[in-house]
Amino acid sequence: MPDAVEVEDVTRVFEPRKKKDERVVALDEVSLTIPEGEIHGLLGPNGAGKTTLVKILSTVLLPTSGRARVCGHDVVEETKAVRPLIGIVFGGERGLYWRLTGRQNLEYWGALYRLPPAAVRERTRTLLERVGLADRADQRVEQYSRGMKQRLHLARGLIGDAKVLFLDEPTTGMDPIAGREFRTLIGELKGEGRTILLATHDMVEAETVCDRVTLIDRGKIIATESPRSLGHVISRFQRVDVEGAPEPVLGRIAALEGVSAVTRTEDGGARIEVSEEGATAEVLRRLVDAGVTSVRTSLPSLEEVYVQLIGERGLEV
Amino acid sequence: MRGFLAGFGLELRIVRAAPDALMPLLTAPLFALVFLAIVRQSGRADLEADALLAPVLMTLWWVALQHAGHLITGDRWQALLEPVIATPTSLATILLGRIAALMGLGLLSFGEVLIVGKLVFGVGVPFEHPVEMALTLLATAFATAGTAIAFAAVFVMTRNAYTFTNSLSFPLYLLGGVFVPVAFLPGWIQPVSSGVFMSWSADLLRATVKRDGIGDFWSRLAMIVALGAASFLLGRLILFHVLARMRAKGELATV
Repeated sequence: MPDAVEVEDVTRVFEPRKKKDERVVALDEVSLTIPEGEIHGLLGPNGAGKTTLVKILSTVLLPTSGRARVCGHDVVEETKAVRPLIGIVFGGERGLYWRLTGRQNLEYWGALYRLPPAAVRERTRTLLERVGLADRADQRVEQYSRGMKQRLHLARGLIGDAKVLFLDEPTTGMDPIAGREFRTLIGELKGEGRTILLATHDMVEAETVCDRVTLIDRGKIIATESPRSLGHVISRFQRVDVEGAPEPVLGRIAALEGVSAVTRTEDGGARIEVSEEGATAEVLRRLVDAGVTSVRTSLPSLEEVYVQLIGERGLEV
Repeated sequence: MRGFLAGFGLELRIVRAAPDALMPLLTAPLFALVFLAIVRQSGRADLEADALLAPVLMTLWWVALQHAGHLITGDRWQALLEPVIATPTSLATILLGRIAALMGLGLLSFGEVLIVGKLVFGVGVPFEHPVEMALTLLATAFATAGTAIAFAAVFVMTRNAYTFTNSLSFPLYLLGGVFVPVAFLPGWIQPVSSGVFMSWSADLLRATVKRDGIGDFWSRLAMIVALGAASFLLGRLILFHVLARMRAKGELATV
């Protein structure tokens, strides 16, 4: 049985439209495999290439080079075979007919997936209940809050009973409760055997619902692992928490090669962060030599890994 | 067929929710009154029926140009084009359904001008050849729909489509001979007009209200259908290439 999603050396270059613009390499020889039934997170900052990859897999954008397949079907050559199998949810408030009701929107999209009219009506009703919009189903979308529109987007992605779902920032605008319900829904969809590619900025979301995550930055894949073991993959980013370390010792450790930061904690201890393979051993040796015995090493959280790998570049994209 | 019906139903629902697409139905009776006043002033009672039929053709064209022509552009700006393309139904099928709904609404203008003509001037359209008239109107709606698909595909590639559509209406009314028959135009324009389906529609529609027999009805009707089919095929072709280009360049969505 083929993997649900196979991406092989996909590159996507956007040529400049005007002479003064620059050529943009949105994806640079990206390769990725997602087995059937997996929930896969795609993490990266703005401009990393997440949406570009989702669009290529959704058949709405062509890769410059490389191949991508969904359930064994090429997304460029076999769009007719791919499209009935996929559902897409793009973030943001657009993408719905605002002057129609939520129900009318879903019925339209259901018909485009060639469902019989009775099945469209039944599926629309079920999905509106599932995303918590049953009471507002006959209200115009323009009267919906941002979070409600996002939930309707999600329902639209599910109306075709897709085997593979591409969700691009699906919780944008949702309040925390709705976000939690969304994560529950994702779990249910996994239980139904669907494969989900979830492009997100939300580390909690990725850590909670994803079987594996891929970190992507500037069009290149940095790492692919389970959220919990990603810290092991990049073990060079270990951290050492100490108690009772004298200030001069911490000062000397801070000057060591491979130590990225030494910060005081609120309880009077200190956290030493390393960024090079082997630096942890040297830090521990120095601490023991200085008579510091209350030492604990740990791996960074997904968010810390993300920040370390992607870099704290603020608003720069 | 489901895609066509989905597009048809969608457009009816959109128009019901936002009736601005029906604006031409407000202007059709006014045009009818203007034209009737002109022929009355000229003492040409024989042209009264023509004065009532011209606004019907104008309405169809106006709906095609101003609304159907902008369907893809509108969807693109609302970030609806990408999800539509990603469904198993072809955009051309959906578009045809949506345009058919608009054409159906445009044909309501026929009823309007009948009512206005009767109420204001006490004149009506003589139904000398009702079946031929109905067939001509349907063929005209089909040809207009075909042309609208071509417009929709072209307009999505242009930045100033509205300027283009505003300036394209009256030349077509002239070339199409919607009120003044093409035979009255300068000789050098007439060959151009013969390539415009509307000129065949207008002439044939006017012939259906005359008591005389309609010469070559079927071949003239076939010409309207053929020109409409050619527009439709051309529209499909343009749409195919435009969508392929947009997929390649990443232009299906606006940022």
